[in-house]
Amino acid sequence: MEEIPVLEMKGIVKIYPDGTKALKGVDLTVYQGEILGLLGENGAGKTTLMKILFGMLHPTAGKIYVKGEETRFKSPADALANGIGMVHQHFTLVEVFDALHNIILGMEGHGMFSKIDVEKAKKKLQKLMDDLNFQVPLNVPVEELPVGVQQRIEILKMLFRDVEVLILDEPTAVLTPLEVEELFQVLRKLKAEGKTIIFISHKLNEVIELTDRVTVIRKGEVIGTVKTSEATPQILARMMVGRDVVLRIQKPPKEAGKPILKVENLWVKGDRGEDAVKNLSFEVRAGEIFGIAGVEGNGQTELVEALTGLRNLERGHVILNGIDISGRSPKELYELGIAHIPEDRTHMGLILDMTVTENAILGLQWREKFKRWKGTIDWNKAKRHTNNLIGEFDIIAPGVDAPVKSLSGGNQQKLIVAREVSKQPVLIIASQPTRGVDVASTEYIRNYLVKLRNEDKAVLLVSADLDEIIQLSDRMGVMYEGEFMGVVKPEEVTTEEIGMMMGGIKYEEIRK
Amino acid sequence: MKKSGSDILKSINLKALIESLIAIFVGFLIGAIVLLAFGYDPVTTYSALFQGALGSTTGIASTLAYSTPIMLTALTFAISARTGIFNIGAEGSFYFGAIAAVIFTNIWGNMWFGLFMGMVLGALWGLPAAFLKVYRGVHEVISTIMLNWIAWFFVLWLVVGPYANPNDPNKTLRIPPSARLPLIGNTNLSIAFIIAVFAAVLSYYILWHTILGYGMRASGLNPRAAEYGGIKPKQAIIWSFIIGGIMSGLGGAMKIMGEPPTYAISQGMANVYGYGFDGIGVALVGRNHPLGIIFAAIFFGMLRAGTPLMQIEAQVPLEIIKVIQGIIVITVAIPGLYDLIKNAITRREV
Repeated sequence: MEEIPVLEMKGIVKIYPDGTKALKGVDLTVYQGEILGLLGENGAGKTTLMKILFGMLHPTAGKIYVKGEETRFKSPADALANGIGMVHQHFTLVEVFDALHNIILGMEGHGMFSKIDVEKAKKKLQKLMDDLNFQVPLNVPVEELPVGVQQRIEILKMLFRDVEVLILDEPTAVLTPLEVEELFQVLRKLKAEGKTIIFISHKLNEVIELTDRVTVIRKGEVIGTVKTSEATPQILARMMVGRDVVLRIQKPPKEAGKPILKVENLWVKGDRGEDAVKNLSFEVRAGEIFGIAGVEGNGQTELVEALTGLRNLERGHVILNGIDISGRSPKELYELGIAHIPEDRTHMGLILDMTVTENAILGLQWREKFKRWKGTIDWNKAKRHTNNLIGEFDIIAPGVDAPVKSLSGGNQQKLIVAREVSKQPVLIIASQPTRGVDVASTEYIRNYLVKLRNEDKAVLLVSADLDEIIQLSDRMGVMYEGEFMGVVKPEEVTTEEIGMMMGGIKYEEIRK
Repeated sequence: MKKSGSDILKSINLKALIESLIAIFVGFLIGAIVLLAFGYDPVTTYSALFQGALGSTTGIASTLAYSTPIMLTALTFAISARTGIFNIGAEGSFYFGAIAAVIFTNIWGNMWFGLFMGMVLGALWGLPAAFLKVYRGVHEVISTIMLNWIAWFFVLWLVVGPYANPNDPNKTLRIPPSARLPLIGNTNLSIAFIIAVFAAVLSYYILWHTILGYGMRASGLNPRAAEYGGIKPKQAIIWSFIIGGIMSGLGGAMKIMGEPPTYAISQGMANVYGYGFDGIGVALVGRNHPLGIIFAAIFFGMLRAGTPLMQIEAQVPLEIIKVIQGIIVITVAIPGLYDLIKNAITRREV
């Protein structure tokens, strides 16, 4: 490879104003027409590095070369002018605009009253879509379009600006397996057209499937770059976390006990009044993990909220240990033995501006063991409780009086798990328990859920992470538009079959 | 006891304390420039201020007396703010507390009865805004502003009508001597100040040491997480209006029952007007912390108590003193504003 790299980053250092060293001298080389995987854990610095490349952040030190020439990007506009485009993890679309207007946004000319030549833009866009065989509806408000299509619009937005290098930040996080496959086809096509793609991910299989080379980043440093053809998941995983990851969770076989949670013909409405959960029935037994898989937004959130007292039931019954708990408040449910690890750590699970101790008793504040006298909290007792949790769960915290936002995401999540377990529940409802959590904490939390199962607790695990569901569940339901497409044992089905169920095909039909 | 002392320290944001002190200093500095610009000598003016506010027993008494009502109205604002509510209804509850004192001490000339009824009416006046907020989603700023005016005209009607003093039409009925708050030593300062400090300490205790207060602060910081934690944010909001109303009602009652020589609401309600709004400023300087509010109120009281001597000795008009007060409130708001902007920027970067 003697060719001049299309992009080169040398010695990139980024220190945030608060002193965090996000990047410690990163070198990155990208060649024309390749798909480069940028692999790393959460917080490794992948996104920071790419934001620097896209001109959104300015490096503290280091140089960027485009086709051998040193360049400085003051803003994303500079980067775009140099043929570098980025599709962010969180989309940057104007929701009420249609695709066409989203794509031409920012290219309408500089005068306040200059006319936008919509027709010309539309023609160019149509040609682009035809060439790539990559269609999106142009005149529907994007908020009405599925996430996968919105992502295509983001990609088109960049291609429309004639970018040579396309950066994709965790593009598959929000997609169904089918959509991922479609995305990969498009990316391969773009590669065939000579475009260069930087693919940020922490999913090993995707990186191996798609990329030509992989650069692995860990804690702000490049660990190495390998050819994908010579890489295995084990090699990459080791580079990524610095040790062999136990990709398999140890789970001894176990007979499930009596049913703890029974859900009978449950109907729940979503925020917009639609039926989010439709006539759902299942049970979770003592000593089993019941997993609910599915693409996010298929009623899982509403189901969990209904089971934990945060959302009204429309119809149906929820029975816990023989007691009908339909319509009870969260406080009553906690007292009856439900614990809830919510999907949204920062908006629901924790109060970020409160201290570690204050968060460690959320949902437990009435308990006798924290009482000084009626209606008051004995903070010394609460702190002792918090210190116990920190010790037992290896939570790294500056102190029990530190604000909980000073903890890393993984440690925040461990604190939530610790707190919920300290409720001494019979049923643990864990919703996306490892989302956005580093590998070590993920492993810890997963093992802990198995431990709870081994201790004869009932565990309801809701997760969009298919690996997690397959590894942990004793039985699993695949949810699609508020219904189960099938309830199966993970070892009895293939990933492909699960993927089909996630896409809305019933298990019976698959097995026909 | 030592342990709970350190707990109090932890509830105080040290950075906020230092910022407030710096802001006060900067406020004085800018005030000095203003004074210079208008041709007054800052040194004389400020020394007259401190002389008047702290230089004598009378001065100190008057500083503390001035600080009393605004300490309580500031607590109203702060308790609500901690619950996530921008309650500017202290003014209305203050009027009701004042008229309650007049009405009920003339029925039964007992001091505690008067204070109690002041708190009851103050709390009741907090409820309409609370219910509008919780059950109808009416923003509390709008409702409390309007309710303040309803309170104003209703109480004004009581003042000039049913409860006007037949012997002195410029005032309401006077508080009977048996119900007046005892004075401390040989001064005009009544035990109202001590009760106000006690109310602040109690507010601190409620917010940081009770399950109710925990729920209120949780609701204020993150209603969704509070709900998840088994707290009912709507109940927390109603409680914040009630406790807030109690504080302002108490303030209004004590303003009339504990301030010689008038012991009545004067015509046009001049001696009860504006304390609710001043309380917002005090709460701001005290960073919505009940203990910070004690000192912030005393500081405001100092400025007020020093005013006469500043006017007499340094010939500085009242307006300039108000300007300095305003400058301090604004400078104290700057650190908070800075935090807000900084957070917005870092959130965009990360």
